[in-house]
Amino acid sequence: MNHLIFLIIAFPLLGGVSLIAMSRRVREPLAGWVATAAVGLSFLTTLGVFITLLGSHSGGPSHAVTQHLFDWINVGALHANMDLTVDPLSITMCLFVTGISTLIHLYSIGYMHGEKDFTKFFIYLNLFVASMLILVLGGNMLLTFTGWEGVGVCSYWLVSYYFQKDSAASAGKKAFIYNRVADVGFLLAMFVIFFNEHTLTYSKMTAHMSSLTLTMAVLALLFAAAGKSAQIPLFNWLPDAMEGPTPVSALIHAATMVTAGVYLLCRMHVVVSASPTGQWVICGIGLATAFVAATIATSQSDIKKGLAFSTVSQIGYMVLAVGTGDYVAAMFLMVAHAFFKALLFLGSGSVIHALDGEQEMGRMGGLRKYLPWTYGTFLFGWLAIIGVPPFAGFWAKGSVLDAVFGKSPWLWAGGLFTALLTAYYMSRLFYLTFTGSARFTEQGPNGEAAVAHPHESPWTMRLPLVILAFCSIFGGLLNLPWVHGFGLEAFLSPVFGSSLVVPADSMTKQFLLAGADALVAVLGLTIAWVLWRGRSERPELTPAFLAKVWYWDNFYDTIIGRPATALANFTAEVVDPLVLDGAVDGTAAAVGGLATRLRKVHNGQIRSYGVGIIFGLLVILVSFLVVVG
Amino acid sequence: MTSLLATVAIPDLLVFLLGALLCLVGAVSILTVKNPVHAALSLVMTLFGIAVLFIELQADFLAAVQIIVYAGAIVVLFLFVIMFLGVDREEDLAVEPIVGQRPLAAVLITALMASIVALGLVGHFEVGPATQTGMLHGGAGNVADLGRSVFTTYLFAFEATAGLLIIAVVGAVVLARRNNPDDHVAESQVEELA
Amino acid sequence: MNHLALPTVSYAALAPILFLLLGGVALMVLSALSRRPLAAGTVTGYSVLIGFGALISALAEYGHVNGAGPSSTVASAIAVDGFSAAIAVTVSVVVILASLLSHGYLRRMQIDAPAYHVLALTSASGAIIMAAANDLVVLFLGLEILSIALYVLAALNRRSAKSEEAALKYFILGGFSSAIFLFGIAFTYGATGSTNLQVITRTLGEGVAAKPGLLLAGLGLLLVGFFFKVAAVPFHLWTPDVYEGAPTPVTGFMAAAAKVGGFAALLRVLLTAMPQLSTNWTPVVYSVAVATLIGGAVLMVVQRDAKRMLAYSSINHAGFLLVGIVAATSAGISADLFYLFTYSVTALATFGIVTMLAGPRDDDAGIDRLSGLARRHPAIGAAMAILLLAQAGVPFTTGFIAKFSVIEAVVGHGSIPLAIIAMASAAVAVFAYLRLVATLYRTEDIATVDLGYDDSLTDGPAAFAIGLSVVVTIFFGIFPAALLDFGRTAVAHLLP
Repeated sequence: MNHLIFLIIAFPLLGGVSLIAMSRRVREPLAGWVATAAVGLSFLTTLGVFITLLGSHSGGPSHAVTQHLFDWINVGALHANMDLTVDPLSITMCLFVTGISTLIHLYSIGYMHGEKDFTKFFIYLNLFVASMLILVLGGNMLLTFTGWEGVGVCSYWLVSYYFQKDSAASAGKKAFIYNRVADVGFLLAMFVIFFNEHTLTYSKMTAHMSSLTLTMAVLALLFAAAGKSAQIPLFNWLPDAMEGPTPVSALIHAATMVTAGVYLLCRMHVVVSASPTGQWVICGIGLATAFVAATIATSQSDIKKGLAFSTVSQIGYMVLAVGTGDYVAAMFLMVAHAFFKALLFLGSGSVIHALDGEQEMGRMGGLRKYLPWTYGTFLFGWLAIIGVPPFAGFWAKGSVLDAVFGKSPWLWAGGLFTALLTAYYMSRLFYLTFTGSARFTEQGPNGEAAVAHPHESPWTMRLPLVILAFCSIFGGLLNLPWVHGFGLEAFLSPVFGSSLVVPADSMTKQFLLAGADALVAVLGLTIAWVLWRGRSERPELTPAFLAKVWYWDNFYDTIIGRPATALANFTAEVVDPLVLDGAVDGTAAAVGGLATRLRKVHNGQIRSYGVGIIFGLLVILVSFLVVVG
Repeated sequence: MTSLLATVAIPDLLVFLLGALLCLVGAVSILTVKNPVHAALSLVMTLFGIAVLFIELQADFLAAVQIIVYAGAIVVLFLFVIMFLGVDREEDLAVEPIVGQRPLAAVLITALMASIVALGLVGHFEVGPATQTGMLHGGAGNVADLGRSVFTTYLFAFEATAGLLIIAVVGAVVLARRNNPDDHVAESQVEELA
Repeated sequence: MNHLALPTVSYAALAPILFLLLGGVALMVLSALSRRPLAAGTVTGYSVLIGFGALISALAEYGHVNGAGPSSTVASAIAVDGFSAAIAVTVSVVVILASLLSHGYLRRMQIDAPAYHVLALTSASGAIIMAAANDLVVLFLGLEILSIALYVLAALNRRSAKSEEAALKYFILGGFSSAIFLFGIAFTYGATGSTNLQVITRTLGEGVAAKPGLLLAGLGLLLVGFFFKVAAVPFHLWTPDVYEGAPTPVTGFMAAAAKVGGFAALLRVLLTAMPQLSTNWTPVVYSVAVATLIGGAVLMVVQRDAKRMLAYSSINHAGFLLVGIVAATSAGISADLFYLFTYSVTALATFGIVTMLAGPRDDDAGIDRLSGLARRHPAIGAAMAILLLAQAGVPFTTGFIAKFSVIEAVVGHGSIPLAIIAMASAAVAVFAYLRLVATLYRTEDIATVDLGYDDSLTDGPAAFAIGLSVVVTIFFGIFPAALLDFGRTAVAHLLP
């Protein structure tokens, strides 16, 4: 099976390319089915590779398989080959990426029904999956970076899918620019690491650097991760990215691409774990992001924006877990989060679909009756994310908080409080959407059209919801804390080796911690019930400060946007015409003048050409004479 | 120069100077005489001077070949062509297309030759003389030596020369063969360009 | 009489040369004997087959050398090593592409096809002889075989007065430079007692030259001979006139074959015969490289004729190749090998496209003729754009990798200023290339010149060769590893 690893990437790539080739002939819904089949085949291949890996896994400590496709770049000391590396870490990523992608492709067939650029959507989606898999399977940083850029581009295309809308177009640009800024971090990290280690291949990295260099490398990596995974200070592109179609939000901006930063940090565990300073900074950024995003999420009125900030907050937890050194907890939360957040997004998509594109929660309410399937599945997603036992989120978030407690009780306290906020804002979102009175039946204050009878979605949309709900309920089984030797921890720990820090708490302490988690979840749920039961608006609970994202955008606008604009204007009006144009025109004039003068030598006369030769020869001989004589 | 005189016998030196003088005078007069026939005869003089130098180096066979092939065959061919085209055509050397080119040429060539000679004079190896070559041994062995080196050391060069000559012939034929009268470019046009 | 011990001859090693030289001679005999003129298609096919024969035998030689190591044959007159095999591969590819590119042209212009192919094949054999020559005399003969055939090829277009002018200029100046070169051989022989490269380097190693005046005179003269052949500034003055005047497919062939042969021989002579003199020749090559880089790039900008512009472009490329020689390391040589191969392919194909556009008499390659080409003929326009961008050194083309590896080699050698000059010259050149690309995609004042040459745009073999070149240019631009390794291995098996 190992020589077939490339097929994991090849299937979606082929799907995308063949759809491009046939885009004029293939129409709805065939394009969707082709794309879904391509990703589905990729999932089956991944499954095959996974089973093979499990078989060899039990045999010995060697658990990484590399498929060498071809030599890619071989310059000087730089040997970056097309090597796909399958190890427990990458196969875990591959499994949930391809699995959830398949479901979301299927869902999109229903959701995108009737769109003008139906085929184009699936082309982008397939190319995204291919890039994401390159990112995950790449055996060296350069290949990962290739995938990293690929997902960035696909994300840009998909966010700007409704490019006729100004907001979508500018959201796409925003996402792209934030990601490009973060890429600087990735490049810096590559430079630093290559300079010191002379390799970019993960399996050869040793982290033999001075601590200052290490810290620089880790901070550069963190900056890269912060861009892709929407962490402070680069988190505020993600809410805007919700301008894309909802399946895109579910796939790219919840389940897969935004976790790439966390994956990168896990991949680079050798480097990350070697720098305690770096780990502390990672913890700080993770917790700060989790907390800030959670506070913002409490005050959002747009269902997708609420979910987006929730995603930011949850990824903050993952980053926090990476900072503590418990990479398994981070991966566990990543997988569980992929399940329930994809479910929540798809559920919200189903709601939006039913309400003809309405995203304001003020115009929802009481949908329980109209959308039984969506309601039922969303319910489990909600319970999972807020951490009610025994759903997936409880176990995943629990393992993260356990690890954080091992690192520092103060961090843990912050994490726990954020968990309370999580439970509160998610419950608020749930109540506003599904309970209370139906507010969409009459015309809205801003002229929104009334929707008399929302319809439940078609089966292509319901099936993924059901499957994801199932995963959200039972996802915790992947890594139960008291079961050792089976599950994610046993599977993943060989990858991380000595980098991995696992909290070794007593049973009592574990129970107490878990109890605290469960208690906080129920508390948050109750507070939300008390505050929001039957209400649709409480301005005192949604302060502008939070609703406007801590004025983060304004802040950037003030410190970067306006000075940059001023600088640009200055450059355009003063520097460019006077200095640069002068320099460029001057150079051009100099080149032109020189050329005109030189051209005179080319007068077409053999004799003067001969003079050139003799003259050159004379200069050479005289110079030799000077040297020798 | 003193070392040179010490190693070379006076008669040898005189013969060398004579040969060199013949070469140079011939070469210069090729450029300066107006009549093409005279130019061809000046070429004979140069080639003869080279033959003298060969004899001075005891390369008797090459001296003979030099006379027979170059002075005999090739210059005769030149003369045929000149006669064919008209002996009375004289080139007008009075016109200088580019002002000052002749003095410049003289200066440049003199400087070039001077620098080459100077390089030759200042050169010496720490061990041994400035040059590694010397005279051939014995006049009679020439032919055998030459034959041997043509079939051993310079076998490939010899064969490659054959290839070179074939190409030269092909080239001459291709250029000379003008089947189609339309192909002719006006004579004046070509002359102008040269 | 002494017994005459004839030298052993490895015909397998000579096979690429023999294929081309004897193939050319055989074609000449065939065309002379056949009653009717040979069909153009037959001759082109024959030429391509000969090229393939040479290519396969060159690859076989390469494989053999990889196993058995470098050696020499025919009384050490010819080097049997990876370097000569790699050059033979390049020249064979040039022959194949040039044959395909010339097919339609020869028919259109009613040029005697066998004459062209005989001369092209033998000329190519001269380039391989130059590269493989282990003896200055053989090198000179290779140079002459290459050059004489090129002089005649340049005169082939009877319909254009410029063609004969170009040939005459090339011939006279070429003869001049050959004389200088020969003079250089004579001095080198005088100083070292041999024309064999190994013996020369051995002599230089033994007799420590305190003041090698004679040898330096020889070196200077040899260098000038080479610089003329590869069109380095200030020995380049013939290049634009000859490139412009010669029939366009011949220009392409000339740009590729002459440069490959000249640089191969220059590399071999400087790096295997005279490495001891590197303190003397490095400054010379360095200064000439600087002059060539700047002169080529700057003069390219002001040209109004595509062929003249490409002539200066080839001069600029020569500058880059000289940069690789300044590096004088195996990295430099292998970078030059890569550069020669990729440059040959792109230059040939570029001239191939210019052939299609140069008008019914092949005498007008003004840049205006290219105006809006990509609008009228998108495929040809796109190919031209790609080839120009490749010559400009845009990433994902071979041009980028070639320039990059040359500069990397020279930086590794420590000549940072030269690297900076090279990059600056590339930047100036990019301007000229991009302007031409912009002309291709211009929407207003699309050239309304007489489209009587439109049939030239449907020239199948030429289109195939151009397409192939574009594919090669992009493929090895994205995946250069195999080709770079080929060059590296070749240099590893260089006859010392």
